Amino acid sequence: MTVFKAFLKILNRNKGIVIMYTVILLVFGVTNMSTNNSNNLFTASKPSVLIVNEDNGNISKNLVKYFNENSEIKKIANNEEARNDALFYQDVSYIIYIPKNYSSDFLSGKNITLDIKKTDTYNGAYAEMLLNRYLNVANIYQKSVSDENELINKINETLKKEVKVEVTSKLNTGELDKASFYYNFMSYSMLACLIYVICLILQVFNQDKISKRNIISSTNYKKSNRILLLSNFLYSFVLWLFYFIVSMFIVPEVIFSMHGVLYLINSFIFMITCITLSFLLGNLIRNKNAISGVVNVVALGSSFLCGVFVPVNLLPSFVLSVAHIFPTFYYVEGNTLISSLEDFSFINLKPLFMNFIIMIIFCIVFIILTNIVSKKRQKIG
Amino acid sequence: MKKVIEVNNLTKEYKGVKAVDDLSFDVNEGEILGLLGPNGSGKSTTINSILSLLNYKSGNIKIFGKKMDTNAYDIKSKIGVVFQDVAVFDELTVYENIDYFCGLYITDKNKRKQYVSDALDLVGLKEFTKFRPKQLSGGLLRRLNIACGIAHKPKLIFLDEPTVAVDPQSRNNILDGIKKLRDNGATIVYTTHYMEEVEILCDRVIIIDKGKIIATGTVDELKNLSNIKEKVTVEVLDLSDKYIEEIMSLKNVDSVIYQNNELFVTYKKGKNNIVEMIDYFKNKRINYSKIFVERPTLNDVFLELTGKELRD
Repeated sequence: MTVFKAFLKILNRNKGIVIMYTVILLVFGVTNMSTNNSNNLFTASKPSVLIVNEDNGNISKNLVKYFNENSEIKKIANNEEARNDALFYQDVSYIIYIPKNYSSDFLSGKNITLDIKKTDTYNGAYAEMLLNRYLNVANIYQKSVSDENELINKINETLKKEVKVEVTSKLNTGELDKASFYYNFMSYSMLACLIYVICLILQVFNQDKISKRNIISSTNYKKSNRILLLSNFLYSFVLWLFYFIVSMFIVPEVIFSMHGVLYLINSFIFMITCITLSFLLGNLIRNKNAISGVVNVVALGSSFLCGVFVPVNLLPSFVLSVAHIFPTFYYVEGNTLISSLEDFSFINLKPLFMNFIIMIIFCIVFIILTNIVSKKRQKIG
Repeated sequence: MKKVIEVNNLTKEYKGVKAVDDLSFDVNEGEILGLLGPNGSGKSTTINSILSLLNYKSGNIKIFGKKMDTNAYDIKSKIGVVFQDVAVFDELTVYENIDYFCGLYITDKNKRKQYVSDALDLVGLKEFTKFRPKQLSGGLLRRLNIACGIAHKPKLIFLDEPTVAVDPQSRNNILDGIKKLRDNGATIVYTTHYMEEVEILCDRVIIIDKGKIIATGTVDELKNLSNIKEKVTVEVLDLSDKYIEEIMSLKNVDSVIYQNNELFVTYKKGKNNIVEMIDYFKNKRINYSKIFVERPTLNDVFLELTGKELRD
């Protein structure tokens, strides 16, 4: 109780810096999440296309009509320089040159290639896809249909056909992605906060002069360490609870669902891992000024490597190989798994449970290392 | 007499250099044992080894008849330590600091409250309970350091240079407090390089140099080890070499030093040598402003035994 009371008093004396650190990281996380909201919104867009048609035939007119329906036809001054400028400034993404007698040559089965110019953009690729689609359909029918009007009708009929796609997933992907982002960022925020605060407090207890007095006292050193660990757990739990309450306001639909429960379990286990890691670091650090540096290296470094700030699928494979040595990797992977869970059968949950177990193994390793370090500290020379 | 500490053949090395060399001594119940020696002589290393804070190369240490080691919590519960460096929490107040360190030994809340109050009384910090360490002067801080070490009323107390850099008022207060602890039945091991404190406080003294015991005994016994029996000091202006030579040839005179208008004369034997000295100055019609006699100090003993001063 004596150690716990002293812990609370020391935490209280440092409350200014603790609250400031927590609030800054929380605000940073929530702000980041809100600016990231637009990531999953999609809007339909049409590529801007310029068609230079020197043919008067019906086939070419039908091609222009098709593009009129599926893209935005631009009108540019009739000279090549103006067209090139339009491409350069991306006023148009794609230019199709239809040569003279294209329709009659096409009907007679000649292999005609259309000249094109394009930008290396998504719109340029999309316009090319439209053109290829039209030409593929037209080429197929041209081999069997000789009448021009019939050919045009067949082409148009085929191009109008649509495949009905039924989305069976009932996942609210927008909200789940939001929750994943929040809980992923929470890993950085919580790890940084716990390392900072726990190291700060342990640094006070582990000063050589204080430590000597604790060691020679009749209170068992291991027991006193355990009390400190539990005291730190209490602080960490309050912090975790705080993040959880905030998430109730940000992603309420997710939190009050099975997904929410899994996010909570994942973050709770990660919190325990963070405590044990912070406790180990707190026992290793002897200089108060080194704490900020350690926070940056461990919390920020592992967050970058493990996909907290940059999605895992964008990270190079060697970075991901390194990331496996950090518990954050398994936590972030867990969040990604949770956000994609459709049903909660054991087979689907198994990879998530594996990640839980790995994080618990990290805890055990950190506790063992802490015991070794603190046992060495029982002697001063 | 019951032995509280038994140290046998203690040797501690730092990278092959012996800091403590085959040290053996006992501390008896109820006594104040002074460990006297210059800085780096091995006093703190000896105490840290006894407390099992240091691993030592060889030797045997028993406290209250039991082998002392890191996990000897029953022994540790009877020990109080005041380290040379002030070891308190800057974040806690005077009261909270004493309460914390006392709480490591005493779990009963009411008993602890009384003990903390007694410790505050002993060191005279009753008026400063709500002060933080940084608000205290050096002397008051040292007193807090002592209170934190002895609040749980230990039977054996180690005081490692508790008066270093302390003002005279605080020093007297601390020394009075230590006497009270002894009067209350505590056994005290007191390390210092201030010989005056040893003379005032200690029942027995061990002089250590280079990790070895070079002399042990009561203050009087140690002083008797000295070849010098008396020292006469005379404040006199412009004493010529002729007179100094004459004084050197006086009966029982061992050495004569004249510097800064002060004449220091040591005697190998005899009592009341000052009378002869007064007669000499009277006969020679030499005026002097002050003359006094003193017995050899522990520093003189140390100087004779090691060839260097205690505060070197």
